[in-house]
Amino acid sequence: MAPAPGMQQIDLSKLNLPQLAQLKQQVDHDLQVFQESLQALKIAQGKFVDSGETVEKLTPATKGKTILVPLTSSMYVSGTIADTDNVIIDIGTGYYAQKDIEGAKDYFKRKVQFVTEQMEKIQVLGIEKTKVKDAICMMMEMKIQAQSEPQKVS
Amino acid sequence: MAEEIQKKMQKELEMFSGVQKEYKIAVSQKQQLDSQLNENKAVKEELLLLKKDAEVYKLIGPVLVKQDLEEAKQNVNKRMEYITKEIRRTEGHILALENKQDAIQTNLNKLKNNLGNLKISV
Repeated sequence: MAPAPGMQQIDLSKLNLPQLAQLKQQVDHDLQVFQESLQALKIAQGKFVDSGETVEKLTPATKGKTILVPLTSSMYVSGTIADTDNVIIDIGTGYYAQKDIEGAKDYFKRKVQFVTEQMEKIQVLGIEKTKVKDAICMMMEMKIQAQSEPQKVS
Repeated sequence: MAEEIQKKMQKELEMFSGVQKEYKIAVSQKQQLDSQLNENKAVKEELLLLKKDAEVYKLIGPVLVKQDLEEAKQNVNKRMEYITKEIRRTEGHILALENKQDAIQTNLNKLKNNLGNLKISV
């Protein structure tokens, strides 16, 4: 009866309506969590892709060129690119590592790949859950019909 | 008699919702710890991939402070150890709360039955 984590064999026809409703609620909630995770991953993916593209633009030819450096989101100072060989990357939990251009490209490529893999995993799980939800909905409809029919007869 | 049982039930229900609240907090705590552990794992992998002479900085407030790579690795390892311990502790907490919930549930069912029997006998 308790909504156990992971895959579990439950005979839907043995559950009564309130139980089915509870199960459906649980599955709906899970689906919502999947949606949110997918969205968050999509944002993360976009950021990594963006950074990867930006790294591509940082070639030796850009050395010494002036750029506007954002101090805040609405204030800039002008600066020149002094080092086109290395970039410093936020690798998480407050750590920043210096990498050369090739290393940086590789880093973003790996990150994009990782995030994409996670998204695919969640999509597969989402499809499974949706199937479960459909099955529950169908069973609920059947039960409701079965409940209302004898009343009509009497 | 029935009033007494109802009072008891009320008390049990209050306890139940309290435990449920605590349970929710514990679960979200565990989720947060899990995500922290995952992030630290990713950072550790990244640090291991770095060349020995690569510069590593740590963000402290608004400034980046240069750090020794070895030191950074040790730091991350230590943090992972700590988080893993915390996860274990939280899991124990969650389990205890689950047991508590079950106990209250059985108590409630008992009281409900008592109340039902009382009504029938009346």
